[in-house]
Amino acid sequence: MAEPKTKYDRQLRIWGEQGQTALEKSSICLLNCGPTGSETLKNLVLGGVGSITVVDGSKVEIGDLGNNYFVDESSVGESKAKTVCAFLQELNDAVKAKFIEEYPEALIVSNPSFFSQFTLVVATQLVEDSMVKLDRICRDANVMLIFARSYGLTGFVRISVKEHAVIESKPDHFLDDLRLNDPWPELKSFAETYDLDTPDPVVHKHTPYVIILIKIAEEWAKNHNGNLPSTRQEKREFKDLLKSKMIASDEDNYKEAIEASFKLFAPRGISKLFIMLPITC
Amino acid sequence: MASEQQLSAIKGAKVLMVGAGGIGCELLKTLALSGFKDIHIIDMDTIEVSNLNRQFLFRQSHVGESKAKVARDAVLKFRPHISITPYHANVKDPDFNVDFFKQFNVILNGLDNLDARRHVNRLCLAAGVPLIESGTTGFLGQVTVHVKGRTECYECQTKPAPKTYPVCTITSTPSKFVHCIVWAKDLLFAKLFGDKNQQNDLNVRSSNISSSSQQTEDVFEHQIDEDIEQYGRRLYDHVFGYNIELALSNEETWRHRNRPRPIYVKDIIPTELIHENGNLDKDSIIGDSSVSAMAILGLKNPQDLWSLKENSKLFFEALKLFFLKREKEIGNLIFDKDDQLAVEFVTAAANIRASSFGIPLHSLFEAKGIAGNIVHAVATTNAIISGLIVIEAIKVLQNNVKDYRMTYCLEHPSKKMLLMPVEPFEPNKSCYVCSETPLTLEINTHHSKLSDLVEKIVKAKLGMNLPLIMHGSVLLYEVGDDLEENEVANYAANLEKVLSQLPSPITGGTILTVEDLQQELKCSINIKHRFVSLKLSITMGHGLAWLNPTLFLVFLVELKLTRVKLVFDLIMEQFDEEKEPDGMILSGWTQALAVEKNYNGASTSQATSLNTEEDEELQFIPTQIGKKRKLSDIFIAASSDNSCIPNETKIKRKADEVDCNR
Repeated sequence: MAEPKTKYDRQLRIWGEQGQTALEKSSICLLNCGPTGSETLKNLVLGGVGSITVVDGSKVEIGDLGNNYFVDESSVGESKAKTVCAFLQELNDAVKAKFIEEYPEALIVSNPSFFSQFTLVVATQLVEDSMVKLDRICRDANVMLIFARSYGLTGFVRISVKEHAVIESKPDHFLDDLRLNDPWPELKSFAETYDLDTPDPVVHKHTPYVIILIKIAEEWAKNHNGNLPSTRQEKREFKDLLKSKMIASDEDNYKEAIEASFKLFAPRGISKLFIMLPITC
Repeated sequence: MASEQQLSAIKGAKVLMVGAGGIGCELLKTLALSGFKDIHIIDMDTIEVSNLNRQFLFRQSHVGESKAKVARDAVLKFRPHISITPYHANVKDPDFNVDFFKQFNVILNGLDNLDARRHVNRLCLAAGVPLIESGTTGFLGQVTVHVKGRTECYECQTKPAPKTYPVCTITSTPSKFVHCIVWAKDLLFAKLFGDKNQQNDLNVRSSNISSSSQQTEDVFEHQIDEDIEQYGRRLYDHVFGYNIELALSNEETWRHRNRPRPIYVKDIIPTELIHENGNLDKDSIIGDSSVSAMAILGLKNPQDLWSLKENSKLFFEALKLFFLKREKEIGNLIFDKDDQLAVEFVTAAANIRASSFGIPLHSLFEAKGIAGNIVHAVATTNAIISGLIVIEAIKVLQNNVKDYRMTYCLEHPSKKMLLMPVEPFEPNKSCYVCSETPLTLEINTHHSKLSDLVEKIVKAKLGMNLPLIMHGSVLLYEVGDDLEENEVANYAANLEKVLSQLPSPITGGTILTVEDLQQELKCSINIKHRFVSLKLSITMGHGLAWLNPTLFLVFLVELKLTRVKLVFDLIMEQFDEEKEPDGMILSGWTQALAVEKNYNGASTSQATSLNTEEDEELQFIPTQIGKKRKLSDIFIAASSDNSCIPNETKIKRKADEVDCNR
């Protein structure tokens, strides 16, 4: 028995089950299925979105054969939306694909509520007037919107979404909180067993960088009213202080301490700023 | 949109695409739509289900067919009048020689491995044809342009080699999950299901001299008429129980490490339960590929973390299924990430071992990714990269040297830019591939054989495919179809000889010429004799130390302790197994690396690492360190981290390390 979703294996390794589920729950609306729109939707369909709805009122013309591989000779004269939709459907059975043969500009004016059913609207090659109208509609309906226009070798992509929360941010680097700016008792007493100014060069070289940071931080705080470095200048001075404690150029522990000194600067807790920020829609 | 000139350059161009996978599909489409009329495409692979999320020219019904051919057919549907010539073949095939490459105006790579890329790089240099390289991993990607004499070649900057692990880490002291996977895949799986004649390091060496290696060999053999359940239990107890106990008896090893705990079946799965292992109806399951232990055990979700008990059950079930359903394949199996049962077995074994060593367990999904070296991939990055490739290709066709760019596609915008264009560098003067810099090889010429030099240096490090080795005018080794019998015999004999004993002896100061006629790459190597440990090389010889720990220990006992320490220190200073698992560093164009002197405690398991030291005596140093200069002085400082140094090279390394795309 094959693993479920083997097809999506490679992308699951990027965004995981949660990401995939979010994709599969989404319904996308594409306005105008020229090359830009079609290519966009192709990537989404391959990824496994829930459903797509292609809105385009035009017919396939000979000129389209030159730049849109979602249409072919046999479809000339047919609805472009229908043709592109059929091709996209081929790429992934699991996606529900629909089409509407209407001009987006007209739809925006005549039936704004049409857009509320979607998770995301991808609007390609619209003129500014239509974009502004559509933006208002989508904002009111809480629908995400992306504009895209391309012309020769230039173009733009513009996202228009309301503020939304990202809970699982999946950071690349995890900042370990070593509590260096306020060591707990056992760490403090452990640090006290070390003498940074030991005469033995080997011991000096092997003092762990965390201890170095704690001790130098103490020293600094003594000379700065119990505060830790906060301004850029102070941080630089702190690093210089660290450097000055090196007795040989190959002391890796001191180098590590200098590199990791930012772990000392980051204050604990949530900044007061965040507590007071009102949330506006 | 394009100028007349561009259009005619495009129309008249003949291009070669190497690779019809992730990048290849997008690229073929883009080339066709951009007006290219004569495209050749080489790809040796067939279509797999996992390709379908991004290689959009393929459908479910195409699984198993040739990528090159199906891609061609798909594109011809919307561009019926262009010429696309597919080759379902390996680009390293001798048919694709310099003359073959010479017929093209530009070569476009969409490969997924370093080896093939280097090969193509050399052929492009030999043929004098520009090469556009590219790669993607997830959201990262890059496109680079390589024109002989004008820009760096693909190998001017060393690319990181795939990660290898020291033998003793795998066999005795794993500390990461990946070590357990390598053990399960390359040792256990290989031992049980692979070629029996292959040497295998599965059995832990112990300081307990009395344990005879003879008796343990039979453990892995399934005896005729032996009940599979019993075999499984016996095996389990041996590798997860007995072997661990054995390893624990080497006190030294564990002085600074967490001790593993031996695991025995009876403690994990009570005897009766093993018999209840799934409802295996021998007749109901048909076909090799559909056989799955997971399914039988009701373990549905590959992303779940299973317990030690569940993993153990999986181990037994998978083992059973191999013997019951796929007996014919046993003895010939090589691990394949698309072999469901193999993945299940390796996952289970790795997890049990991990549990023993206190390493966190992993899901089947994760384990499969590690074991199969799976690269994450998505359609969009490939689409972007293919566009960039064609843009560069058009510049190359028109010889717009000033406009060539290396472009890096980032995951997050840096200084508001998602695509970073950078000017190419001048060729590296000490690149042994595109300029003729001699290299230096430090090697123990009394110890190492010619075969070591050929396999580990010339083929593995230098990337030569069909090498030729000459000392002055004497041919020491070559490969080819047109060799005479006596020549073949002569070369075979040479391979087994120690370097200093060759008919034309290789010693310190010798200069060797190595060549690959197909790649048209020639290289000189200055040999420097590397002195290891006088005591060891005189008394032991590597073979002796391997086979006879007894002798070695006796030898040590005879010396005063201080001198023993000296021997170990000498060894440790020379070879840091962690840093040089094969003992070879192609230091490329950076300072020759001083061997790191960090060892965690001397342990008698050093006896094992000594055995791999025959390899660790080979070390590479280029004789010059090249300076890089940009074609112009314009420079884009891209990174937004704290350092003030423009770290364009940092981005490069980050994206450059991407050499997979599928």
